Amino acid sequence: MAAKKVMADKHAQASVPDKLQQAGGLKPGAARAVHEASGIAEADVYGVGSFFHLLAEPGVKVRVCTGLSCLLKGSAELLKQAEAAGLPVRACSCLAACDRAPAVLRDRSVLPDVTTEDLARAKGDWTKLASAAGKGPDWRGAIGPAKDDPERLAMNLAGAPDFSCAAFAKAKNLGAEKVIAEIEASGLQGRGGAGFPAAFKWKSVRGQKEATRYVVLNADEGEPGTFKDREVLLRRPDKVVEGLAIAALTIGAHEVYCYLRGEFDGPWRALEGAVAEAGKKNLFPGISFHLHAGQGAYICGEETALLEALEGKRGMPRLRPPYPTEFGLWGKPTLIHNVETISCVPAIVAKGGGWFKALGKSEPGTKLYCVSGHVKQPGVYELPLGSTLDDLAAAAGGYAGTLKAFSPGGASSGFLPASERTRPLAYKALAEVGSMLGSAGVVVLNDTVNVAWAAREQLVFFENESCGQCAPCRIGTRFQRVSVDHHFDRAKAGASGDDLKLVAEVAWEMNEGSICGLGQAASLPLTSALKYFPKDFEAKGARP
Amino acid sequence: MIQQAHIMLNSKPAACRDGETVLQVAQREGVFIPTLCHDPRLKPAGACRTCLVEVEGQRRLLPACATPAAAGMVVKTDNDRVKRHVKGLLALYLADHPKDRASETGAPDQLLDLAERFGAPTDWPAMPNVRAARPGDANPYVHFQPEKCIACARCTRYCAEVESVHAITLANRGSLTTIFTADGRGLMDTTCELCGGCIDTCPTGAMTEKKPFLTKAKPERQLEKVRTTCNYCGVGCQMDLNVDHSANEGRGKVVKVTSPPPGTTTNDGNLCVKGRFAYDFLEHRDRLTMPLVRGDDGKFHETTWEAALQAAARGLLKIKTEHGSDALGFISSSRCTMEENYLVQKLSRSIFKTNNVHQCAAT
Repeated sequence: MAAKKVMADKHAQASVPDKLQQAGGLKPGAARAVHEASGIAEADVYGVGSFFHLLAEPGVKVRVCTGLSCLLKGSAELLKQAEAAGLPVRACSCLAACDRAPAVLRDRSVLPDVTTEDLARAKGDWTKLASAAGKGPDWRGAIGPAKDDPERLAMNLAGAPDFSCAAFAKAKNLGAEKVIAEIEASGLQGRGGAGFPAAFKWKSVRGQKEATRYVVLNADEGEPGTFKDREVLLRRPDKVVEGLAIAALTIGAHEVYCYLRGEFDGPWRALEGAVAEAGKKNLFPGISFHLHAGQGAYICGEETALLEALEGKRGMPRLRPPYPTEFGLWGKPTLIHNVETISCVPAIVAKGGGWFKALGKSEPGTKLYCVSGHVKQPGVYELPLGSTLDDLAAAAGGYAGTLKAFSPGGASSGFLPASERTRPLAYKALAEVGSMLGSAGVVVLNDTVNVAWAAREQLVFFENESCGQCAPCRIGTRFQRVSVDHHFDRAKAGASGDDLKLVAEVAWEMNEGSICGLGQAASLPLTSALKYFPKDFEAKGARP
Repeated sequence: MIQQAHIMLNSKPAACRDGETVLQVAQREGVFIPTLCHDPRLKPAGACRTCLVEVEGQRRLLPACATPAAAGMVVKTDNDRVKRHVKGLLALYLADHPKDRASETGAPDQLLDLAERFGAPTDWPAMPNVRAARPGDANPYVHFQPEKCIACARCTRYCAEVESVHAITLANRGSLTTIFTADGRGLMDTTCELCGGCIDTCPTGAMTEKKPFLTKAKPERQLEKVRTTCNYCGVGCQMDLNVDHSANEGRGKVVKVTSPPPGTTTNDGNLCVKGRFAYDFLEHRDRLTMPLVRGDDGKFHETTWEAALQAAARGLLKIKTEHGSDALGFISSSRCTMEENYLVQKLSRSIFKTNNVHQCAAT
């Protein structure tokens, strides 16, 4: 029998991903059941479910991270072992546990530091899989500075959660104009990747004629090498919630939507706890918080794709303009910020924009840098914005081995050679060399790594995570990866060829033609590796 | 005096009206901007990226189909940057698409047309298709060839926005993105009404008519289009019979029915399942092609329209005379137009003086 057609409202659409999760993912018949429960057309439900990998493959219970940092720690071997053991396993994109690599996702829980012994102990039963080194959902990573220092650190991860809400009370007294003036004076830039001035967004949303506005928290950051949101949510959910409340108060919003990675079980509980605490004490009257789980799609860290996903649709980025500040969630003006950006707000309001600005080196504020790969103590380090790789490595216990290359801001930032170790890791300084700070997910590679291989792995990531909406990205990411594979296959066979001759032109077109940042930046790992490490492409067997 | 707003289109002023897109202005001005995912019946998607143009003051190229034309806007559609983009983009499409015209078994492949027109490189290494098909779909009319699909979503958007049917969807992600149904079922087991609008809007022929595809009929370019009016109902949709004159030993054959381009006829490029697919009666041996009158021998004999109408009039008048007006009844067909139905009741009431008149769609 053909499915009925039913008209449905926006909330029914928004509930589709959750309902599919409750149905155990996109099993046969699940789309029909969710259609009947929500009134959303069956095919549309299916389209949504098939987009998100945590829903699309209901039989897969174990996912091994194949992010660069995890690969460096042997995740490819773990994957093979898990397959051989008969576990329902797949490779997956970065799990935001690069500091505790290699990471494995069991159902919706991230297990850090997984060893071959851990896998062996599970004896082929995925429900028994556990990490001896990281028990329970609330495992944490290393942070620095490790001491409470609210005077010099905007985020101050080591500080105890503080629900006094002094900053919110101050914001109330100051009034919206003065709060925005402080944000502007602070020079706060979006810490999710683009580095866009935060005050500009606040002013824009506040200036809209439409009275219904929303605040959205982007906690769906999936940039490989980035795991700071996890630590912020686990350690300072108070700052996240207070920052969101100040934002809502200032722009005139009553609803705050938080979209968290589906893999963030511990951070989810931490944020849920903070929201419950605030609710119990009625700390932010008139402002309500809603938590939404992501379902596995890197692209939903892109703000307009996130809005689509929050509305319960396939997470495909929107055309811009119009920008979310004008046409955001359900078409209403929306202020959307990354976890770190919004968490800077309470300290800025409490201590003043000037205080925050002065914390930075080359640009304003302190910054959470995630560092993983070949350093002695991978973790999240709060340093003045504009610190160098050497500064960061020093905070992280020093380099492991001899520095060869690094990726300063996740896969999208490409690779830089060791000679850039003293360049400020900041928005402007990195843009000058065609790279970017991005999410400040710094991956350090020592001289045992073939950068051509590393670039190839990043291309696989972009190919898997392209949303598929626009051709330059959908076809281009695959084209680039296939070109590199053909090159390596030929090199292995001892033949020469020109498989890489189109890389630059395809990269140009992907940058010019793609709708969003994913496609625009997706060639950077390859083009930067070719630029700085051409010899690595000559190596035979560079592809393991 | 009202000042007409203008944009500068390739250095020439072009009038623009409120709410128009850059593409609409360019089309009116005769400036060709390539499109693939655009269909005037649908909301702009800006997804295929072929219509990107340079707008002064904008860092990125913008899709002409989705960009409102604002007074004073300076637009370039033909500079080196835009040309390089179009060539590169089409070359990428071709790397993921059959390049041979032999693959054009149904409707003209607009991607191949554009690649030719813009001289896009055709030698970029081809990649095998990875988009899923629905091999078990037993529906009689619609066939999907995933290797020819460019995932522009015209079909799924048409199905949702024009028909409100939502039978098909974009499914999966990245290079695996394909056109699918819930659980990959056949169209007969979905909300699909088999209107074939997905075929009509598809720019590459990936969605195609099943019968001509399976019978290896000639491609659309080799068929003659004969414009006619659909006679299934009174709406009066215009449609094109696509005729292969050489088929059937030269007697000709209607290979398929297509709808005229959107915006050119009242049905705006739309047809229903009957108009688009139920044309087999054209060649059915039982089809009446001449007026027939039953003779004294009890058999039908071919005659002229004049003689046939005379015979009918004689018969009706005879009944009226012998048995009275109410011994007659008139039933008209829902395939008649409103005007024809009006005439039937006029015939019934004024000429034969009976109210026994009905129309089969009135119950």
